[in-house]
Amino acid sequence: MNDFTRRTALKGAGATLGAAAFAHAMAPLTEWTKDLSLDEFLQRHYKELTPEEMKVILRRLEEETKQEYGRDVTIQDLPPQEGVSFGYALNLSVCIGCRKCAEACHQENNHDRRTGNSYIRVLEMEQGSLDLERGNADYDHAVPAPGKYYLPVQCQQCDNAPCVKVCPVQATWKEQDGVVVVDYNWCIGCRYCEAACPYHARRFNWSKPEVPAEEINPDQGYLSNRIRPQGVVEKCTFCLHRTRAGRLPACLEACPTGARVFGNLLDPKSPIRWVLENKRVFVLKEELGTRPRFFYFFDK
Amino acid sequence: MDTALEDGVAATSSIPLLSVLVALTLCGCDRDVPRRLQPAPGASTGVETVLVPEKLTSIESGEVDARGQPLRVPCVSCHSLKEPARMPDGPEALQEFHRGLQFRHGELACTSCHQADAPQSLHLATGEPLPMTDVMTLCSQCHGPQARDFRAGAHGGMTGHWDLSRGDRTRNNCVSCHDPHTPKYAGALPVMPPRPKHPSPTPEDRSHE
Amino acid sequence: MAASRHVLDYPRFLGRLLWMSTDGSWRFYVWMTVLTAICLVGANAWARQLVDGMALTGMSDHVSWGLYVANFTFGVGLAAGAVMMVIPAYLYHDHEMHDVTLVGELLAVAAIALSLLFIVVDMGHPERAWHLIPGVGRFNWPVSMLTWDVVVLNGYLLLNLHVCGYLLYMRFLGQKPRKRWYLPFVFLSIFWAVSIHSVTAFLYSGLGGRPFWNSALLAPRFIASAFITGPAFVILLLQVIRKFTGLPIGEGPGRTLTSVMRVTVLLNLFMLGSEVFTAFYTGGAHAGPAQYLFFGLHGHHALVPWIWTAVACNVASAVLLHLPASRRHVTVLNVACVLAFVGVWIEKGMGLIIPGFVPSTLHEMVEYVPTVTEWKITAGIWAFGLMLLTVAVKVALPVLSGQLASHSAPKGEPTSQEKEHRAAA
Repeated sequence: MNDFTRRTALKGAGATLGAAAFAHAMAPLTEWTKDLSLDEFLQRHYKELTPEEMKVILRRLEEETKQEYGRDVTIQDLPPQEGVSFGYALNLSVCIGCRKCAEACHQENNHDRRTGNSYIRVLEMEQGSLDLERGNADYDHAVPAPGKYYLPVQCQQCDNAPCVKVCPVQATWKEQDGVVVVDYNWCIGCRYCEAACPYHARRFNWSKPEVPAEEINPDQGYLSNRIRPQGVVEKCTFCLHRTRAGRLPACLEACPTGARVFGNLLDPKSPIRWVLENKRVFVLKEELGTRPRFFYFFDK
Repeated sequence: MDTALEDGVAATSSIPLLSVLVALTLCGCDRDVPRRLQPAPGASTGVETVLVPEKLTSIESGEVDARGQPLRVPCVSCHSLKEPARMPDGPEALQEFHRGLQFRHGELACTSCHQADAPQSLHLATGEPLPMTDVMTLCSQCHGPQARDFRAGAHGGMTGHWDLSRGDRTRNNCVSCHDPHTPKYAGALPVMPPRPKHPSPTPEDRSHE
Repeated sequence: MAASRHVLDYPRFLGRLLWMSTDGSWRFYVWMTVLTAICLVGANAWARQLVDGMALTGMSDHVSWGLYVANFTFGVGLAAGAVMMVIPAYLYHDHEMHDVTLVGELLAVAAIALSLLFIVVDMGHPERAWHLIPGVGRFNWPVSMLTWDVVVLNGYLLLNLHVCGYLLYMRFLGQKPRKRWYLPFVFLSIFWAVSIHSVTAFLYSGLGGRPFWNSALLAPRFIASAFITGPAFVILLLQVIRKFTGLPIGEGPGRTLTSVMRVTVLLNLFMLGSEVFTAFYTGGAHAGPAQYLFFGLHGHHALVPWIWTAVACNVASAVLLHLPASRRHVTVLNVACVLAFVGVWIEKGMGLIIPGFVPSTLHEMVEYVPTVTEWKITAGIWAFGLMLLTVAVKVALPVLSGQLASHSAPKGEPTSQEKEHRAAA
């Protein structure tokens, strides 16, 4: 019996020690929970929010940006336009591979400055080959180099998007204007979409994005360029905070050679429709059946 | 007794599970707030403007003004006063002004585009005079496909609004990008040089390790 | 009346088992302390990863899954394979097997728990896991294969918990288990075991953008390799149990499992060979990942030592298992089991997940090397899984052997202690 009580006491001591050690091991979590508000934790899916709830959330996010990044920003939630379905085309004959589009994307979309993130990757390709295996994204010499052409790749806004299919929580979906978006406050960060995307279009926030206050683009959208939280996936949205206000995407405006054509696929008089009807366009990895809305063409 | 026991086990395992499932299904009915759309674009109100680059009406003097801006001299300040010289055969003949002009534009001669007696103005292939600011008409004579693409919005780039019902749009001029004397687009060093592709943590983060 | 009795008695029974599990020999305490320490190191690393972000891992936008998902995949296979023992026991009425099926099911429970933990640590926002609850969150079922995986893994966990719990409870009460309360579940769990690993394979093989995974052979390969690791682990586990508890476990189960492994190791190698042939004979872009995995590509070789270790382990275990010595000498068998386990762990983990990402979908070469954080968390989860298994086996066996029963005095606990002491001595 003596042995029994001694054993119980020892067990108690062991359990206390274990609990203390566990608490100590998990101590960093206090820092983590500090950043996590209850409102954010309980926030429901984008599609379930009423306009009033969305308003409250947008103000909360603006407040948080002010506190964490020291910048007054405006976060809007612009809806898609009736009768508008976006399409993009890129003229490979005139693209010189200067990466100005990638830079504009970096600035417009408040990408992490440390990693130099951008939704656009430009591949230097061999003339006469469409084999991505022979492409190189790490070129660092004067462009255009002889014998090369340049293939900028960004989200293709597929109509049959593998990323949307695989998301276990519907945190990513296709909007009525054709743009595939992510609800950064709903994404669980499993990165299945990143594995599913055949175009390397998705990015994960491996750490909290760093952007100096003066470099922050204050014109922000809930579904697009607001500063993303750590641990969620993000992607190109055709700059929907701009394009849903009728403006052109940042990458298009930045292109010094006018290689990019953007517009409303439903408008027969739009430049994008003209390209689709008059140029021999193609899409990347057509054989995968993803049905991209991003088209490429050569002039000559 | 046995039957009762079995029922008991069944009850313990299935009833709570079932009620949870029912509850979940009930609140799982379609909760999506219907997505409102913006009204369709109305009648066109925006304007499309084609840039008229300064270089069509003036030239850099090589001097800078008080604010450090390059000082430009209007073409007419020389070309209206000076007795028009004979149009040179090629750029190397330019001794006094426009020295060092590079010319790589096919088999063209200066007078193919410039008026022989008024070099600040252009002329079409028919000989019809053309103000310098209408240079795009001149280019279009030879570069039909580009002109066609430009008109369609598929060449030359633009800024502003894709949707003219919501704002204006600015188009580049041919000569915004192409120097008419050396029209091949100049290359450049790319921006955003390659970086390590692993998002390595900051030094502070590493200190935790 | 009887029902209400069980409502209280069953949790009480589970509580008693849990309390009992804290008793043991000094070896048991040392073992559990070591595992706890590793767990705590892992927990600490995970807490830091949550705070500082997944940048602490070796993953990147190019290789967006790594060691965690590799171990998840392996864990699911282990869980599926553990139920291998159920098939001969119930389908072929192998009576000797009946007694040890429970061990397999407990292993399945521990392996599923381990797999689920590997998913949790791989998530950028684990606190948002409630978004996965059907009805409360937005469960993208049936479109997303990941939701299928959530369903089948949790279902498998419940299924095995039910079967184990019911059989043990009945044994404890001294009653004969009613077939209708466990047999349908046992048969279901056999199909379910195949489904969990098929679904896990479909997670990868359904992705058209990843040629290395986009193979119909992936699911069969997963099943074959599961039926290597499951039996291999159980063969070793049964010996440990025999050694430390003195429970009389016959040679039969081990022999049955060994014959299963003799088939599956060969099947697995055959399918690996088929994949290798298809990749290399066809060539082109589809061979890129295989080229990278086996020989290195464009000057990148990080996985080459891994995969050749795996191939060596798998071939060696296949040879050993087919040597007559494996029947006579248990050491030979044990070495074969360990080799098979390690070989499949690499082949199905690092050797399968990472080449899916290298070269990337835009054919960029970015390599992946796990960081210290990842190794700590991985070790922590494995330690946790082993703790779970130890406790589960430890409490189940006295009930199974009849040492702990409702009709015996509550002093049954010291009795089992004494037994432990004797075993340890």
